[in-house]
Amino acid sequence: MADDETAVGEPGAASESPLTRRSWLGIAAFWGGLAVGYGTLAWQYLAFLLPARTKPRTRLLFAGSLSDYPVGGAREVHDLEGNEVLIRRTEDNLKAFSSRCPHLGCRVHWEYEQGSREFFCPCHGGVFDADGNPLAGPPAQGNQHMEEVKLVIDEASQTVYLEVRDVPHQERA
Amino acid sequence: MSIAPSSSTGGWRARLSEMFPFDWELLRIAGAEPIPHHLKRWWFALGGTVMYLFVIQVVTGIALTFYYVPTPEEAYASVGTITTGVRFGWFIRSLHHWGSHFMIVAAILHMLRVYFTGAYRHPRQLNWMIGACLLVVTMLFGFTGYSLVYEQLSYWGATVAANIAEAMPLIGPTAATFLRGGLEVGSNTLTRFYVLHIGLLPTVALVLIGLHILLIRLHGVTELEDEGQPVPEEKRFFRFWPDHATTELIVGFVLMYLLTIMALIWPAGLGPAADPTHTPEHIKPEWYFYFNYRLLKIVSLKVSVVATLVAGLAFFGWPFIDGWLIKRKWGRELPLIIGVLAFIGFLVLTVWESMT
Repeated sequence: MADDETAVGEPGAASESPLTRRSWLGIAAFWGGLAVGYGTLAWQYLAFLLPARTKPRTRLLFAGSLSDYPVGGAREVHDLEGNEVLIRRTEDNLKAFSSRCPHLGCRVHWEYEQGSREFFCPCHGGVFDADGNPLAGPPAQGNQHMEEVKLVIDEASQTVYLEVRDVPHQERA
Repeated sequence: MSIAPSSSTGGWRARLSEMFPFDWELLRIAGAEPIPHHLKRWWFALGGTVMYLFVIQVVTGIALTFYYVPTPEEAYASVGTITTGVRFGWFIRSLHHWGSHFMIVAAILHMLRVYFTGAYRHPRQLNWMIGACLLVVTMLFGFTGYSLVYEQLSYWGATVAANIAEAMPLIGPTAATFLRGGLEVGSNTLTRFYVLHIGLLPTVALVLIGLHILLIRLHGVTELEDEGQPVPEEKRFFRFWPDHATTELIVGFVLMYLLTIMALIWPAGLGPAADPTHTPEHIKPEWYFYFNYRLLKIVSLKVSVVATLVAGLAFFGWPFIDGWLIKRKWGRELPLIIGVLAFIGFLVLTVWESMT
């Protein structure tokens, strides 16, 4: 082995030959080509792993008629993925909130029956008022409001529609 | 509460080498491995080609597992999503698809080169046997891989393969039940094939590849017998690093180029979804199983299974059969003739099947 090594010369011997402009260009083209080629592949690879951030398609979901919502009360409906949406009616308007707590994503509850008329998150004790404004707990410290879901009310037929993310049939809850 | 400062007075290099006490000189010595001069020609770098393709398969395969769902209900749809829904999904899948074909071709060519240069002879018998196992592992990769797509070919291919396994003497029924995870091809089969494809086979392949390369390094690459003028030592060898590594780098880049062209011209498609109630009229396995598929059509199931097993065993233990033949003074020509005949037999069965 040691004999062979001396026979084939010391590593680095090749780099001792003077570098001409031509050989510099050759080396740059060689490594540059490799870097560009594999760089492109690496970019495509990462793009594959990272799902595209396209705006999801939405559709209107029938959420009952206006008379289903008593003033001062709230109702839970489910979107196409099975997530709860809380629809609450006050004297002059109707608002829908995603039940996803803006703090860390747990599901909040509407505590109307208990008489408190507040949204409560059981994970870290976040409390929101009927308009989704934070009252106590981590959301209040971070001033995080409940996310509103768009509602469409058809005045003629007195029906309520919810704008939800569209999902393929097989993925629907 | 303080820790005594390090006694090292050197710069960050010295401190790093204290933290990672490895003798880098070893790497330099390993890199200076003398390589026989014939490896300058690419067709002697075919082993490295298989290795490079294996790396491509691992890298693209890991990406595919991010989206693939191994259940009968969702497997086919998830492959569809990968192909049409995910960014560059068609490309990654096509690279994986063509990589598998290239890998089998390169493995066969590598095996032919080793066979016809007699590089399997003493003391390298063990490495031939490891290589033979690697060829079988590569074909199992192909088989389990196209079964995962869960198109008609996957389903009926798995069914037929399990029934072939069932016809093996002694262990047949147990092997078939093990493969299927039951009496029928179903969700258990798919899970098993998935675990084989992404877990067990890669592990086995890695260990075998490691042993294969270790043995090559321990023996040194076989020098070709030269019948002409004796060549001086310094012309017979060149260094692994950086000379041979550069050759491999170029081979790898050309492979990537060819794979990309194949993926662009013939992207991996998707046949009809698996239907356990209906066997399609024209169904064939991938080309590398044609020889066996044709054999099944011309002889009985038992005969073809036993013949395949015997041929496989002879292939595996060939260096010893060869040694025995040479000891019997049947010369060095007989192994060459047997090799040519065996390969022609493989080609004839494969081409025959592809034409019908």
